[in-house]
Amino acid sequence: MTARAMMNLRSILIGSAVFRLVLILYGEWQDAHMEVRYTDVDYLVFSDAASLMASGSSPYKRTTYRYSPLLAFLLIPNSFLHRAWGKFIFSASDLLVGYFIYKILKQRKVAEDLCLYSVMVWLLNPFTFTIGTRGNCEPIVCAMILWILICLLNGQIIQAAVWYGLVVHFRIYPIIYALPIIVVLDPRYVQLGKKPLLVNWKSNTQKPSSQSSEEASTRYNLWTAAKSMFSKERILFGLVSGGTFFLCTGLFFHLYKWEFLHEALLYHLTRADPRHNFSIYFYHIYLQYGHQLSLVEKLISFLPQSIVQLVLVSSFAQDLPFCFFLQTVAFVAFNKVITAQYFVWFFCLLPLILPWSDMKLRWEGLSCVGLWMGAQLHWLLWGYLLEFRGQNVFLQLWMASLVFLLANAAVMAVFIRRQRCSPIFLQMKVTDAKGGVKSE
Amino acid sequence: FFQDCILKSYFSKHEVLSDSSFRDLLQDELSKFSCKLLPGDPNPQLTLSGLERHLIGEGSHRHLSSTIQLQIPPQSFPLQSCKLVMIERLPSGVFADPFELDHLLHHGAYAAIGVFGDTNLELPSVSSNRSAVEIHMNFKHNTSSGAMSELGIRIDLPLHARYAPLHESGYSEVAFGTPDLLVSCSMEGSSEKRSCLIVPSSDSNRLRTDVVVWKIPCGIMSYTNVVSVVTFATALVSTLVIVLPSVLYSKPR
Repeated sequence: MTARAMMNLRSILIGSAVFRLVLILYGEWQDAHMEVRYTDVDYLVFSDAASLMASGSSPYKRTTYRYSPLLAFLLIPNSFLHRAWGKFIFSASDLLVGYFIYKILKQRKVAEDLCLYSVMVWLLNPFTFTIGTRGNCEPIVCAMILWILICLLNGQIIQAAVWYGLVVHFRIYPIIYALPIIVVLDPRYVQLGKKPLLVNWKSNTQKPSSQSSEEASTRYNLWTAAKSMFSKERILFGLVSGGTFFLCTGLFFHLYKWEFLHEALLYHLTRADPRHNFSIYFYHIYLQYGHQLSLVEKLISFLPQSIVQLVLVSSFAQDLPFCFFLQTVAFVAFNKVITAQYFVWFFCLLPLILPWSDMKLRWEGLSCVGLWMGAQLHWLLWGYLLEFRGQNVFLQLWMASLVFLLANAAVMAVFIRRQRCSPIFLQMKVTDAKGGVKSE
Repeated sequence: FFQDCILKSYFSKHEVLSDSSFRDLLQDELSKFSCKLLPGDPNPQLTLSGLERHLIGEGSHRHLSSTIQLQIPPQSFPLQSCKLVMIERLPSGVFADPFELDHLLHHGAYAAIGVFGDTNLELPSVSSNRSAVEIHMNFKHNTSSGAMSELGIRIDLPLHARYAPLHESGYSEVAFGTPDLLVSCSMEGSSEKRSCLIVPSSDSNRLRTDVVVWKIPCGIMSYTNVVSVVTFATALVSTLVIVLPSVLYSKPR
């Protein structure tokens, strides 16, 4: 890293940190002086759970606390230090995500200015800076996901597996990344004890590489995958991540019994909230509430999500960040419940794929942003009329959620069409006197 | 006078709120106090001259405003210390947020306020039981004028609507009953020479007020099949919109 680059990254990070500090202080003022709180109601739930834990009780005595006890543990200083401690932790994680984005892109030899723009796409995103400063814990999850990517890029399989087991325990949704990670841990590209060779970034003006036979095919071949499925790297990753997950789950089950299992795990797997949210399924769930759904109905709601996830993994697993991004957008869009905080799950991955996109900001990029934001604002308008004006606009709100799903799908299609899919790893030669193929 | 919470005592013995069993418990609790309804008492007592009820706001989050008009008799001492207890048994379909009420308490609006019964914030009406709110409020009154004085006390209770059961009209109506009111005034610093007012909600003569009704939008059952079919069709179309480009454009260029 050159001194000039450090100064630019440093100034972006410092500026972002100062801005977040101001927002946290403003949030404390608004909470004390205005009717409407700045702080998210979830933060109050975490704080209450943390103070229960600090006094030796179960955090699950606090109704609607549906997270791992680890979160309450992290927020124990809220009780004796300052109630905004958690917000500082979350905002610090959000800054860490910015740093990790820079680190990942630099490791893949992306041009300096593109690295900094990509970092700014995360740090200057209004969703990003409000989510941490309002007291939402998602930035911690994002930081863990990016750290896992960094570990994989460096061939640190065991460390990646430990963090992966931990993040799945913490938030469950990262389980969707299991399959692409296993795919990418192909022994041709990643070997225990060796640092993998990375495919470097090429701008869209550079000629494509002629060494395509050495690069991993982005087409996931089911047959070759089945043959090398049980490599030691894959088995190790599976065992270590699974072991970490079950260790955490077992420990907290021992401490907090069925309440922990139900609130932190089973609730999320079976959640079907009839109250209005961005999901296309909310009205269907409300109209059917209390009725037992047939096996066919349950299967139908499960199928679109499963098919999309499998096809995305099969098509893009070798370009791991892009695969993660698409999978996350799809997972959120097809989920039975969608709240705005879930968007951060893919916003942290977006900067990692932008340097490989042929999309220009004007007008393709702005159209995607406009379509996605427009569909959201449209939904929010009907939501406002229902919730704050008491008008029966259920049908219109439900149709707005259909439009939102279609907008998400359309934006994904544009990204796919305009992405220069690039695998992250180069094939390593197993027997070579000089120690392997040189990277590009 | 009424240091304890009546609803707490009720819910320690009952799981679910029932109007008849609550009325019985209230009768028992009141009998413990020296303030009893004394018919034909020659001394002028506290009286309720009016009760106004309004539902303020639109949408799913509103305030139930109760303005209690009291007539306070003159006393030989200048300052009276009074306590008002209001028990609002909420109808099925609305709830009070206990954390919001805590917030009100910390802002010093009331001496005590709590919600009891089913305080789940998330479940729809069909899966919920009723709840009730008890409010304790202290106030002082200057009665040196020698004549009966009028006092109006306003209590605002923030409430939220649950997701209502389905109805073909598209709206579900929730009607509020009348609250139970208990007031006691005594000389400042002394519990002697106390005058009381007890108006249970069953006393419809004294609690004459317009019925407050909350119209909550709800789903319409006859749309169920169309909604399900179109939902799944949209999911299918979106799946194709994603799957086709993935298959066509996943090779490196």
